[in-house]
Amino acid sequence: MKMLKVVLLLTLSLFLSTANAAEKEMKVGFVYVSPIGDAGYSYAHDLGRQAVEAMDGVTTSYVESVPEGPDAERVILNMARKGYDVIFATSFGYMDPMLKVAKQFPKVAFLHCSGFKQSENMGNYFGRMYQARYLSGIVAGKMSKSNIIGYVAAFPIPEVIRGINAFTLGAQSVNPDATVRVVWTKTWYDPATEKEAAKSLLDVGADVIAQHQDSPGPQEAAEEKGVYSIGYNSDMSSFAPKAHLTATVWNWAPYYTKVVEAVRNGTWKAESAWPGLAEGIVDLAPFGPMVPKDVQDAVNTVKAEIISGAKKVFVGPIKDQSGAVKIAEGVAAPDADLLGMTWFVQGVVGTTE
Amino acid sequence: MLHMRIAKRQEPLGLGGSCLVLVLALALSLALSGFLLFLGGTPPVKGLSTLFHGAFGSRWAFEDSVLKAIPIFLCSLGVAIAFRLKVWNIGAEGQFALGAVGATWVALSYPDWPAYFLLPAMIAMAAAAGGFWGLIPAFLRQKLRTNEIIVTLMMNYVAILFLDYLVYGVWKDPTSFGFPMTPAFSDNAVVGKIGSSSINWGIFHCLGLGFLMWGFLKFTRLGFELKAAGDNVAAARYAGIPYDRLVMLVMVMSGALAGWAGFLEASATVNRLQPSIMVGYGYTAIVVAWLARLNPLSIGIASILLAGLRVGVENLQLDLQVPAAFGGILEGLILLTVLAGGLFTHYKIERKRIR
Amino acid sequence: MTTEIIISLLAAAVQSGTPILYATLGEIFTEKSGVLNLGVEGAMILGALAGFMVAKFTGSPVIGFLAAGVVGSFATSIHGVVCLWFQGNQVVSGLALTILGAGLANYLGTAYVGLSAPGFNPLALPVLSEIPVLGKIFFQQDLLVYFSYCIPFLMWLFFAKTRYGLSLRAVGEYPAAATAAGLNVLLYRWVGILVGGFFMGLGGAYLSLAYTHLWTTNLTGGRGWIAVALVIFAFWRPGRAVFGAYLFGGVMALQLRLQASGTQLPSSLLLMLPYALTVLVLVLSSWKKGSSDEPGALGVNIEPVD
Repeated sequence: MKMLKVVLLLTLSLFLSTANAAEKEMKVGFVYVSPIGDAGYSYAHDLGRQAVEAMDGVTTSYVESVPEGPDAERVILNMARKGYDVIFATSFGYMDPMLKVAKQFPKVAFLHCSGFKQSENMGNYFGRMYQARYLSGIVAGKMSKSNIIGYVAAFPIPEVIRGINAFTLGAQSVNPDATVRVVWTKTWYDPATEKEAAKSLLDVGADVIAQHQDSPGPQEAAEEKGVYSIGYNSDMSSFAPKAHLTATVWNWAPYYTKVVEAVRNGTWKAESAWPGLAEGIVDLAPFGPMVPKDVQDAVNTVKAEIISGAKKVFVGPIKDQSGAVKIAEGVAAPDADLLGMTWFVQGVVGTTE
Repeated sequence: MLHMRIAKRQEPLGLGGSCLVLVLALALSLALSGFLLFLGGTPPVKGLSTLFHGAFGSRWAFEDSVLKAIPIFLCSLGVAIAFRLKVWNIGAEGQFALGAVGATWVALSYPDWPAYFLLPAMIAMAAAAGGFWGLIPAFLRQKLRTNEIIVTLMMNYVAILFLDYLVYGVWKDPTSFGFPMTPAFSDNAVVGKIGSSSINWGIFHCLGLGFLMWGFLKFTRLGFELKAAGDNVAAARYAGIPYDRLVMLVMVMSGALAGWAGFLEASATVNRLQPSIMVGYGYTAIVVAWLARLNPLSIGIASILLAGLRVGVENLQLDLQVPAAFGGILEGLILLTVLAGGLFTHYKIERKRIR
Repeated sequence: MTTEIIISLLAAAVQSGTPILYATLGEIFTEKSGVLNLGVEGAMILGALAGFMVAKFTGSPVIGFLAAGVVGSFATSIHGVVCLWFQGNQVVSGLALTILGAGLANYLGTAYVGLSAPGFNPLALPVLSEIPVLGKIFFQQDLLVYFSYCIPFLMWLFFAKTRYGLSLRAVGEYPAAATAAGLNVLLYRWVGILVGGFFMGLGGAYLSLAYTHLWTTNLTGGRGWIAVALVIFAFWRPGRAVFGAYLFGGVMALQLRLQASGTQLPSSLLLMLPYALTVLVLVLSSWKKGSSDEPGALGVNIEPVD
């Protein structure tokens, strides 16, 4: 008897779910590569989504933990079929799947994060996190006494390599002797492994730990050892109050709300958007009390220069690890080169494999 | 429980009874997960219907589920024959990875070969690579009595890291802006889609291989020996079955099938090699093989159901904002209840007679 | 490498081996009773979450640690119900427990990501920590590491010297004979599952309360599977489990330190080291035909007919 009831309810709800799709509200979908519970990269995007959700006449939804293969195409396709007006896909591997789907749904606005392909109705975007990394590099370079700075990093992909390079250039701009040692963990979130990686860097004499990882594991290692650290994704000072100098943080809300507004007004056009410090997409978290006033001032001066456009991070001469000049004197590296960066600048100790 | 007792059935439960038990087990797991949905603030019935709708409720959904079932089916078929021989191959994941690597090597080296030549070569290489990865633990098991569970498990990590090494290093596409992926395969190296559907021709590989496997187990002497040796090693040896060779052969077949799945995943669905093709199909295959009692036909059904569950959970996320982790809960509960329900195949619960 | 780095490497080996050690010992205990539980990862991650939550609410890491054990037992009791009462296949049930445990922990734990809770910090033992070299490696760790030193010994004592331990082994070795001798086989197997689960939960809690002081999705990162492998590696002996866990933890710590000291080898190849080495050591030790204590009836259910 109970089974019968369940079956009846099941059929009934199937009807209901198809019936109320007629309302006119703008639907915005997000595809994440990891669970938003990672407290890191996807979580930062989700904070942006929540800002979009708060807009009038907009509903949002997301699918998390979507692998970057055939599963991604299916998820994006389903969003398009369900009548989503704007779809954000927030990981590199979603690029080709999204391009395929975009061709089939010319009226939907597709936006892909961290890639380089685009079409009539598919744009791409990313944040110039490297600008904030450069600033945090200045802090690290000023605060390091051993001139060895440790960097715990997840995967050797351009986004991460670019960040390490910018960080190193920042450190060297105030401390020419600074070297940055890189340890790859091959995982985005495994706090214990990340912490162990940070400890291995402390063992070889690092006295500032930076990270491109989603968990605060490396921060804890620095705090326990009594050295300094620089966080990522969000302000991590609560995990390492005595160590946390600052953090490079994401703030997607202004960009996401702007794009959704533009699509609603019909003014949106597919483009390659790469906002940075100037647009407030990336930033530094507040400085810890141990950062001296003159260091703070120095960082803020450079920050103002980057925002005004007077200063660019990757301006030659920049040499790679072997000493070969990769960016010629006085040349600012074009965005395409930055997007595909696969080599370390001089002063980084580690491999890109 | 005090007044109950468990008794062995004279004959195993018939088809009707088995289905009833299955339905009750599913109902129990759905009720439990519905309760969790309720706790999370989602209307349970609507949630479960959304899930079902996303898995099998439309032509698209059904195609998606079948598409996802293809690699699971092949891996599971391989796992099942090893399990029949009571060789615990936990290594389908690694064999899958090496198969994908082997196929990719052929595809990248000879992109201009015509498809009717290139695809078989890719399959052969994938099967050889996967089979080789299966042979190592079999060899160690028979010659040195090294436990195959630990060897296959550890070799999974090694294979995946080897795949990583290739796509992060020597095979990296120079035009991928530094991202870990090989160049896209040439059209000749791609197993295409059937008509306008999203299902690729790999489904016929599955049908063919599944049928072959069924025939092999049912009609060939080797298939018979395999079953006999699985039931009783000592007796099989006494009867003159070359057990050592049998184990190695079966592990090669098992690895080759997983490798074949790796080929299809690289060629048909991703069109290149990239780290994200490793999503745990090799482990799912173990669950599917057991649920299906190692029977090829049942493996087909079970892999579609499990694939459907995973596809459907996405719908649940999208429409009702249920976290992805709910999929794991539901999957775990279904497995456990169905497994427990298996008791009633051979046993029944009687009321204890009070004398 | 300087001696200082080597000492710190060995200390790191002990620490990163400890969560695996707890879980491995738990699985040994379970398997000794004849039950194969592949759900270690599931029990561990639920234990990690429970330990973190309880420590946060009560403010006491010790209570959190114990709660993690209890939740670990609760998790493995599911395995007990399915396998002992309902005759379910032990391999599938264990896999299902892994899937269910990870799902539940991630589902219930979302609200706790990014928070901090009180945990265990390094605590140098008086006198012992002064011993040259060894003191730094073994006795400047945290309380949970010291606790883990005692367990293998106690477990060995239990199995080798007590009546209950011998009975438990008999149940795992030859259940029919154990039944004939008047032992309640099912009861012993329940004990095996619950006590084993307790230790698996503790192993998870080590990750969220001592190794790090935080909770996040997938915190256990596959360590439960390593534990399953190490049981076989250890030939089901608690003492050898210590060796296996520290070896694995040590090689993991070593490859990170090789990277930090500037080696040019690709990281993918370095990361293979712990797994490849585990196989290698196992192959070498089976070469010598080392006697294994594998329980005879491992993974075989007991027919419920009276």
